[in-house]
Amino acid sequence: MIDHYDWPGGREAMLRFGPAQGPVVLVALPFWEEANRTRALVVAMLRRLADHGIGGALPDWPGTGESLVETEKATLLQWRQAHEAAADALGDRRSYGVSIRAGTLVDSFGPLSGRWHLAPMTGEAVLRDVIRLRAAAGLRGNEHGLFGAESPVRIAGNRVSPHFLAELAGAEPYDQPGVPRRVVRLGHDRAPADRTIDAVPPWRRAESQEDPELAATLAQDIAEWIASCEG
Amino acid sequence: MRGVLADVLGLSQERVESFRADTPLFGALPELDSMAVAGVLTELEDRLGILIEDDEVDGEMLETFGQLVAFASAKAPA
Repeated sequence: MIDHYDWPGGREAMLRFGPAQGPVVLVALPFWEEANRTRALVVAMLRRLADHGIGGALPDWPGTGESLVETEKATLLQWRQAHEAAADALGDRRSYGVSIRAGTLVDSFGPLSGRWHLAPMTGEAVLRDVIRLRAAAGLRGNEHGLFGAESPVRIAGNRVSPHFLAELAGAEPYDQPGVPRRVVRLGHDRAPADRTIDAVPPWRRAESQEDPELAATLAQDIAEWIASCEG
Repeated sequence: MRGVLADVLGLSQERVESFRADTPLFGALPELDSMAVAGVLTELEDRLGILIEDDEVDGEMLETFGQLVAFASAKAPA
């Protein structure tokens, strides 16, 4: 079902899945092209979560998807405010954040009962990826391979404000004492995690491939974690 | 290395098995666009536990399969 939520700067779309009562997860996708690569997996995962009796919400952020905000006008602060507003829109249901990659940097203010993070990354790591991408683009003699030469900066087809990039410096995934947090990683990622699942990270695949098994495994992991939080 | 290319570029196992040292990569594989180059490098870092500086990245190391393997071998801890 396509729902909406209001944040201080306007109204954005939010896909809803599963039952209208009981616990619900609020998803924060990775940034830019990685969001496109990850969306199909997340939708499959939310459908499987619905089988476990858990609701799901997948909002657009200002400047993404159907948003009326221009992509290059979006800021990280807006996304954080939108995430908080989306969490508020879930009402008094027990809500949990499910954030992926750079999405863990958006999931900051919302009144959530816990955080489940898939391959969380720091703002520094996002910036490193951006620089790498621009270096790789420069290999082709692409005019946009030059650093700092254009504003907004084009990142794999997305126009991103320099403000947004500046906000990433020093940004860290949400991790506060007293709030349950579980970290899951995929594939050959060696960073610390509560669990590492042997699967190809969809955000790194140039050619998307469906992975229903991974969607089911992640849904199962989230469902068991929520059950332990609610215990 | 074959696994990285198969995973990131979505190439079939048979296709990557057929790669030889002189198989051209960058500019020859349509799948290897700049986003994919960045993905291959990051995946290599994860798998080998290495850090690749962006000023080490040039067209030469990506020219052939053999050159990419040689680059990764030189970076990988013994």
